[in-house]
Amino acid sequence: MRLYTASSEETLRASKLLKDWAGEGYLTKEQYQHLKQETISELRTTNIFLRLVLFLFTLIIVAGAAALFLEGFLSRPSDQTSGIFLLIFAAVSYAAAEVAVSQARLYRYGIEEALAVCSVVFLCAGLMFAIFSGSYPPKPYQAHSVVPAAGVVFSLWIWRRFGPWYAFLAAMIFAVFIPGYWTSSPWAQHLIVVAFYTVGLICVAVVRPRHRFDYLDDDYSLVEAFLWLGIYLAVNLQLSSLNVRAQWWVGTQAAEFPRPFYCTTWVLIWCLPPVILVRGTRQKDRFVIAVGTIAAILTFVSNKPYLGWQRHTWDPILLGVLLTGVALYIRRWLARGPGGIRHGFTAARLSGRDKRWMSIGSAGLGLVSPQSITPSAQTKSPDFRFGGGASGGGGAGGDY
Amino acid sequence: MTIFARLENWKEQGAISQEQYALLSSLSRGEPFSLFLELNLLLYAGVLAFVAGLGWTVATWSQQLGDVVVLTVVSAILIACFWYIFSHALAWSPTETPAPSPVFDYVLYLGSLVWCVELAYMENRLGVLSGQWDLYLLATAVLFFFLAYRFDNRFVLSLALSSLAGWFGLKISHWSSHQDAMYRQCALLYCLLVGGGAVLLQRRSLKPHFFNTYLNIVANVLSWALLFGVFEPEGYSLWFLALLVACGVSLAWGLKRRQFAFVAYAAVYGYIGVSSVLIRGINGFTAVLTYFVITAVVMLVALVQIARRFGRLA
Repeated sequence: MRLYTASSEETLRASKLLKDWAGEGYLTKEQYQHLKQETISELRTTNIFLRLVLFLFTLIIVAGAAALFLEGFLSRPSDQTSGIFLLIFAAVSYAAAEVAVSQARLYRYGIEEALAVCSVVFLCAGLMFAIFSGSYPPKPYQAHSVVPAAGVVFSLWIWRRFGPWYAFLAAMIFAVFIPGYWTSSPWAQHLIVVAFYTVGLICVAVVRPRHRFDYLDDDYSLVEAFLWLGIYLAVNLQLSSLNVRAQWWVGTQAAEFPRPFYCTTWVLIWCLPPVILVRGTRQKDRFVIAVGTIAAILTFVSNKPYLGWQRHTWDPILLGVLLTGVALYIRRWLARGPGGIRHGFTAARLSGRDKRWMSIGSAGLGLVSPQSITPSAQTKSPDFRFGGGASGGGGAGGDY
Repeated sequence: MTIFARLENWKEQGAISQEQYALLSSLSRGEPFSLFLELNLLLYAGVLAFVAGLGWTVATWSQQLGDVVVLTVVSAILIACFWYIFSHALAWSPTETPAPSPVFDYVLYLGSLVWCVELAYMENRLGVLSGQWDLYLLATAVLFFFLAYRFDNRFVLSLALSSLAGWFGLKISHWSSHQDAMYRQCALLYCLLVGGGAVLLQRRSLKPHFFNTYLNIVANVLSWALLFGVFEPEGYSLWFLALLVACGVSLAWGLKRRQFAFVAYAAVYGYIGVSSVLIRGINGFTAVLTYFVITAVVMLVALVQIARRFGRLA
């Protein structure tokens, strides 16, 4: 099913590991140069920046060519005609992606990825126009779910065939839209999405042990992390409600959902993070651990609106102290173990990749953080009691 | 062949020693498993949440708490942070220096952000600088540059660069008849100052590992500034010429130093700039689409040639 052979991908993985080990000094320069010759793959790869730019320009070419065809060769086409041509474009894009890999041996090169992405987009748009737009008699509303369903199936196929992680993420996003065509009940929609993701998680959990420590392990790790995150977000009604920004302060109204369902989801948002974290630590899975941590933080952040409790301005301070305290405690606990290791975990840096990520992250995050913490003028908060100093107990100015 | 089979093979060939084999095969199995990155991210998130909450609390409750309480608490945190970093810092070195402890960088970052909160409070509440926000930003930038170079911290270097950019932006907003052109000139001045400073510091071998941070910021700010000049309906020729020169330099630098981010900047900014100029002379939707298809193909071919020549180097 996969376009690349296992040996090619294993060779690429070995090449990356060698580079990492040499960077960390586990191999001498001479050893690296010698062993590198044994990890030369026939696949054509490029670095991340060129990959992104190649992706962008391929998108421009494909989108421009499709628009040019519709504009230049069809004068005022009907929706059905446009839809059929979009389906043809989908087939052509997909075929081009296959050829790019099989003939030019492109691997994560940007070009074949953009072609595959375009084929998914064209397929969904083509189905929408060809089958449902302006059809008479109108098709049943439920039948429209075939569009996101096709998106799910084709994205999963692209993921299996070409291997890009974002194709799986796209499949998960398409899946979110399916229940909306089947039922108008919000709680049923949430349940269906959770059911989809749970089925995916079970499949991954069954398949994954076979690929422990091979080139597919990272792919499955990421996919499992996405599925856990998807389940958590679908369960957390405060985060997955459509009008998140408007409801963030006051919280999602429990009345939207049956009370037992609402209470069950509250219990689940507290149960899921430890489950995910335990799974991640037992599997020593970086992505799953990260999702468990994110889920735990989101639970702390969304607990008050969940229960209809009032938020306080000092809540982030408490969260910050908690996060810092946990990080410091774990670090010290690990460092006190023999050789700085406990239960197979260490706080020490073992990979050059971590250092690179830290360098890039610290420079990037440092640029954006001032905007996020700069205090604004004083506004009336929910627990504001004295009203801008006018009552005599506040202060001189009302602006801070 | 899995990585374990390869390691076994290399050990038998004598390409790696028994100790290396043991180490590398255990690393491949995730033994031990490093939580370095996760713990650092947790610390970063903790510091950011703490300072955000502090700023929010101070902004909301200053009237009820009173200036003395607020300033005392914030100053106490600030003093504690600076006491920690100055008492634990290693001797200064012009080269890359590791942090003396795992939390050191985050205490420094916390102190820097708390400084922002305190200064913002004093200015807003007490008007210490009489509304001279630009002076506040300039002083903050100077302090952050000092801290970044003294303690070798990229977080604080980025804070310094964004504070300096803020100073340039605020300074111009005080001018009576500020226009977009003024902002562009200011951005160019910023790039000149930061880029020139970076080259100077690099030549003096003062924290040369910071050089890339400077270059990336300068490349992006400069390209945006020039692009907005190119977007002007009239009098854009000089801006266009400058953009072409900047993209050429970025491309040459990226290829020479194998830093492909600069190749990407040159390709994207250059394409947008050239397209915005050429499209002005093209009438009709079909002609515009034809332009995009043809030029994107040309770009793709050129980039593939670059990618083929330089392979996976990064």
